[in-house]
Amino acid sequence: MQVIENKQIKEKLYTEKLDNGLVVMVLPKKTRKKYIVWSTNFGSIDNKFYAPGEDKLTVVPDGIAHYLEHKLFEQENGRNSLDVLTSIGVDANAYTTNDHTAYLYECTDHFDEALDEFMNYVQNPYFTDENVEKERGIIEQEIMMYDDYPEWKVYMNAMKAMYKDNEINIDVAGTVQTIAEIDKEKLYKIYNSFYRPDNMILVLAGDFVPEEILEKIKSKITMKNVDKKTIRKYNHEQKEIVNHYIEKEMNISMPLVLMAYKDNDLTSNKVKKDLAIDMLGNILFGRSTEVFEKLYEDGNLIAEPTIDYEFSKTYSHVMIQFQSDNPDVVIKEITNKIEKVKKDGITDEDFQRAKKKIYGEIVKDYNEVSNIATAIVSDYFKNINTLDYFNAVNEIDKLYVEQVLKELFVEDLKVVSIIK
Amino acid sequence: MSKKSIELKKGIKVHFINTDLYKTDLTCIIITTPLKRETVTKNALIPFMLRRGTTKLPNQYLISKELQNMYGASFNCGVDKMGDNVVLKFCIESISNEYALNNEDILKMNIETLLDIVFNPAKVNDMLNEEFLEVEKENLKDIIESKIDDKDSYSLENCISNMYGDSGFGLYKYGYVEDVDKITIEEISEYYNWLISNSKIDLFISGNFDDENIKNLLNNNENIKKLNPREENYILDSTTGKPKVEKVNEVKEEMDVTQGKLVIGLDITSTQENLRGIGNVYNSILGNGANSMLFQNVREKAGLAYSAKSVFFKQKNNIFIRCGIQIENFEKAVDIIKVQLENIKKGEFSEEDVNNAKTFLIAGIKNVEEEQDTEIIYYIGQEISKTNLTIQEYMDNINKVSKEDIIEFAKSVDINTIYFLTKNN
Repeated sequence: MQVIENKQIKEKLYTEKLDNGLVVMVLPKKTRKKYIVWSTNFGSIDNKFYAPGEDKLTVVPDGIAHYLEHKLFEQENGRNSLDVLTSIGVDANAYTTNDHTAYLYECTDHFDEALDEFMNYVQNPYFTDENVEKERGIIEQEIMMYDDYPEWKVYMNAMKAMYKDNEINIDVAGTVQTIAEIDKEKLYKIYNSFYRPDNMILVLAGDFVPEEILEKIKSKITMKNVDKKTIRKYNHEQKEIVNHYIEKEMNISMPLVLMAYKDNDLTSNKVKKDLAIDMLGNILFGRSTEVFEKLYEDGNLIAEPTIDYEFSKTYSHVMIQFQSDNPDVVIKEITNKIEKVKKDGITDEDFQRAKKKIYGEIVKDYNEVSNIATAIVSDYFKNINTLDYFNAVNEIDKLYVEQVLKELFVEDLKVVSIIK
Repeated sequence: MSKKSIELKKGIKVHFINTDLYKTDLTCIIITTPLKRETVTKNALIPFMLRRGTTKLPNQYLISKELQNMYGASFNCGVDKMGDNVVLKFCIESISNEYALNNEDILKMNIETLLDIVFNPAKVNDMLNEEFLEVEKENLKDIIESKIDDKDSYSLENCISNMYGDSGFGLYKYGYVEDVDKITIEEISEYYNWLISNSKIDLFISGNFDDENIKNLLNNNENIKKLNPREENYILDSTTGKPKVEKVNEVKEEMDVTQGKLVIGLDITSTQENLRGIGNVYNSILGNGANSMLFQNVREKAGLAYSAKSVFFKQKNNIFIRCGIQIENFEKAVDIIKVQLENIKKGEFSEEDVNNAKTFLIAGIKNVEEEQDTEIIYYIGQEISKTNLTIQEYMDNINKVSKEDIIEFAKSVDINTIYFLTKNN
């Protein structure tokens, strides 16, 4: 296996690409916990594709990746693998994102027993008209649950204001109307198109001997690739945003605000940019800044706004989120600060403090095997090696952070989404 | 992992959790005091006031800079209900000294900063700083009012307060808006002084360190020297609740929601030995995990809900069932749930179900030692109930539960309150 070592954080990442194209990564740790996650690069944004060998474009209903995630546990012997894994005593789960779907379990005991069931169910879908139908009510309730989450609404609305045609506009779970169109034939079609070894990664973190676990995994792989590729198609997205402002009323105590900037540059070094944006949050409106101090003392902010850079191969944007009774005041203060720092630059002291903080935060991420494993998965589908974040912290300089601020935080590309 | 506890002074303990599993050190100060209607709001206000400044770092912006210099250490504080008590929790998490880039003793900075925040607050004329008070009162009011934002926890809180009323466990941990305005700087300062002189205090230090070093550090710390010995003043046994209700209390509340939230509060009157062990296994069979009766029957078979589960509050000995359902399915869901409760009473579950439930619980308990904060919460729970079970003993108590134990327990379980958050008409 290929090994990448990071001496600073004292971790080693082992990687092997199997003959069938499946990538296996192992991060051994001396915890008693074992974590495994198997993921396919297929999420809610992948709704148009040419299935292997077909020249007619297939368009699938919104929410189908998530529906498949629910149904994959169903087995031909009538059992549900989630129940089986739970009764073995492992904590099993699955999740769907914009660009990938993942199946996982974690445990301190019974890892090997559970591995057979796990490898088996991910590789053997069993969809029937009846079991597909049964799930519809459950997923409808999940969709309705999200409908009552202000955090989810403020995010989806921001995406709708920012992107005209990009598939990130699609709700991961779909809507009650779109999931009505899902049947077993459609599920098999997406399974056969995207659940193929060369489109997947399997990551293990915890108490493992890399070569041993690799052999075990290899012996349980039955999935094969078809010769022909699956070709995805995405909509063309305009550079401009759709609307600067979007609001919705829900029953909440204080307005929830998401302020976002669209980033049209999809090819730049995302790792470095991600770190720079995290540092900017600290420098612009972190708890130790005058901006925060003023907003806090005046009762306009109760907690530090969060900042996040969300990106994949087809979209990228910065999101700043906070709650305030006076959203306009906060937005104005933050925007003024952005313009001021663009003009005057960042002080050395602020830069060093932010850098130190970000280093500590990355170290902390390596505490939890679940955090590391899921980060490796989501980074892999963005062509990123997770350990690169450390190298990037060492490399990042003030000039670069200032440049990101100037290029990305542009008024024309800003949207504000508010839930009142 | 090894855990050692030392009584620094009467009523004040330090607990060392020595482990090399993490890249971080976590320190927590936990103050335990009874939940009372007249002090609940003040308790909630204390952490807000204390995080604002210390004598050395007189405002929160300076505290924040200090934390950033400790490689982005994070400070958290808040209040939590434990049975009929409230715990005030103050924690700092920082990266271990071995990852410091310039050989700083980060753990020392961590402990000293935390002790300063809790025991050496910024003062003016021997009182807490009045300048902070008005802002923090507003903040507390916002927090109390934000209860409504998360419909799941809102429904649970309302079911609890309907069931237990205006005292102890029935109180909202953040207190009440109408109380906030009345609090003066004199009152809150006096209450703070009373709290730190009369409450049980526990200091937890989890990470990779030398006990002797830390002991010395604590013994020489001015804040620790200042603290007086005290009687532990809190409610030890919260498990005996109100007598059985004659009639099930039904509460419906209307709001602008898409999905209805059903919460069912259950009374437990059993006084069996190993009550917590049995309660855990019972709850697991009923509604904790994918194999449970609620998940299988409400979700998988009837397709009524995405989430259907139950929670066992072992410190208070009660159970709350929670489901998100379509408004029109209210009666149907309640009926299915009632059938499950009856079925357990009648022993309609297999030995396999019992074993599955135990396996599921044991797996969760083993996980306690794999997460730094969970481990501290486990030990404070043990400390407050004075059970002081090791994790192994806790697991043994689960393992020895029999099917008969569960049936006997089930017979003492009754619905007290059915709460439903529903759509506006």
